[in-house]
Amino acid sequence: MKERQKTMTPLMNDGYDGEPAKRVLSYMQAQKEQGRPIVGIYCGYAPIELIQAMGIVPAVLRAFSKVPIASAETVLPANICPLIKSSYGFILEGTCPFFAMSRAVIGETTCDGKKKMFELAAKVKPLHVMDLPQLADEPEARANWTAMIRKLQRFLEATFDCKASDQEIETAIQGTNRKNRLMRKCFDYAAMHPPLINWQEMYDLGFLALAATADHMTPILVAVLERLENRLSQGLYFSRADAPRVLVTGCPVGGDALKVFRIIESCGGIVVAPDACTGMKAFTGEIEEDTGDPIQALARRYLDIPCACMTPNGKRLSALSELIERFKPDAVVDFVLTACHAYNVESYKIGRHINDHHGLPYLKIESDYSDHDEGQIRTKIDALFEIAKN
Amino acid sequence: MPYAGIDIGSRTIELVVVDEKGEILQNLQADTGFDPMQEARQMVDGTAYDGIMATGYGRNLFELSFEAPTVTEIKAHARGALHFFPEARAVLDIGGQDSKAIALFDNGRVKKFEMNDRCAAGTGKFLEIMARSLGYDIEAFGREALLTEKDVNISSMCTVFAESEVTSLIAKGQDRREIARGLHASVIRRAVGMINRVSAAGEIVFTGGVAKNPCMQTMLRDKLGRPVLVPPDPQLVGALGAALLAAERKAEA
Repeated sequence: MKERQKTMTPLMNDGYDGEPAKRVLSYMQAQKEQGRPIVGIYCGYAPIELIQAMGIVPAVLRAFSKVPIASAETVLPANICPLIKSSYGFILEGTCPFFAMSRAVIGETTCDGKKKMFELAAKVKPLHVMDLPQLADEPEARANWTAMIRKLQRFLEATFDCKASDQEIETAIQGTNRKNRLMRKCFDYAAMHPPLINWQEMYDLGFLALAATADHMTPILVAVLERLENRLSQGLYFSRADAPRVLVTGCPVGGDALKVFRIIESCGGIVVAPDACTGMKAFTGEIEEDTGDPIQALARRYLDIPCACMTPNGKRLSALSELIERFKPDAVVDFVLTACHAYNVESYKIGRHINDHHGLPYLKIESDYSDHDEGQIRTKIDALFEIAKN
Repeated sequence: MPYAGIDIGSRTIELVVVDEKGEILQNLQADTGFDPMQEARQMVDGTAYDGIMATGYGRNLFELSFEAPTVTEIKAHARGALHFFPEARAVLDIGGQDSKAIALFDNGRVKKFEMNDRCAAGTGKFLEIMARSLGYDIEAFGREALLTEKDVNISSMCTVFAESEVTSLIAKGQDRREIARGLHASVIRRAVGMINRVSAAGEIVFTGGVAKNPCMQTMLRDKLGRPVLVPPDPQLVGALGAALLAAERKAEA
């Protein structure tokens, strides 16, 4: 298996494979040199299409390193989620290059910790907070979120002196749909037995594709699909054929939290479906085209994101069922960041759904960015695979 | 032919040898110390067997040094518990650094498990430190706690905070045995919650070093309201399970 991997052409083959942050940084620098302004974003609810239509470049800000947490804890309480602490630590230390490039930052009220952290971060840089509805299925939610997106548009107009017509937003929407369809095609190779694309490659792809335009991504994704097709014809794949296939759901997984993927791999498993907004979630679904009201179409699509910050979030169960049908995992890991109450509480429902409706073993892992619990996580994953083999 | 299982835990290492019928031929125990592989080598060197399987937190290190297959503590304790109580469908293992509740299918396979790995809270380590702060050795701790009916409520689960809580209770002149019983109760509360999350009814096999503590056995029975079965030497169950799995592995091959 190692031999096979050695002969494999790196998937993106641009010198940045395995270093997605560097790749995105070089993309951002190129955009900046072309005179495009940059706005920082934190979360999958930021309406990328509106931002791009206005000629602004969205940059996902760093939030996944344990390094700046000690600085953050000089201001924030220690017992909140590591993602919030890391985000704020980067701001305090001035060590996030994407934050430094951004003229302003967009935040959403996804949870209490974040919204209160934004109040502190607003002292460092203009920070526009969008009031995210919590009952996404209620009819008022769409009206409110539409209003919030329009408000964001006015904020961006005032801050960046940019404008976008409805037609330009519509064009961006259609671009995202094209880009996401290509991304989903790449993920098809993870659905194969054994998979032809690994978690690192999917992570690399998603890292860039999330915020890059369809025009930038299309040639890259076409080349990626060609390489995947070559792997198929040459019989190159990852992992042993009997390696347990794992779907990882839950909180976003990046940077130091990637330890969960690495441990799964070192226990002999293979991640075939990284759900979560750092994985496949951002690229699922279509934004309705040619509605005549592109902002409302955006509102509808973003409220469809099955995030645990919504209640009752029944969509997450159906989305998981679809992923299970498509990627045929042998086990499901639910990754919960320490003190993320929404995902932590929701895990009970997720576990029941996975056990009862799909008959699959389910494991919740609650962890942060430190590496002190690797041994314990390994034991749990080993035991999960022992159960999966039953 | 004899088969061995070695359980390299945070506090102790156990080695159990069984014959092909699963009868225990030999068992050894040593403190883990700071060089567990050195300890393990000494135990293994004087022992004859045809196959060995490792479990416990040191299993991966053992796998590298001895080229032996491994199994998690979860599966090993489940297998070992079934050796004594074939009808059991749930196991509670409280060891030195973590505790686990395990539910089994009717065929004896692991159905699901829950593991407490936050910190020393709810583990043998917690009890050990608390015993020391009350001036008991670990054997006397459980025995003495059983001699009173009353327990003092200990609200801290954190070992460090609980220790200072104990200190202030001593300063208030609180009865030593009642404090001891209260400390047992705090570990039991956590264990009961864990068991009930994975298994709703039926007998529980109690394994791991903490299962030797008579107060833990009694309080677990009382608080759980379910039969609690304790194997002859609960601390050996992990190593025994690994030995039995080593024998079964050979039989399947």
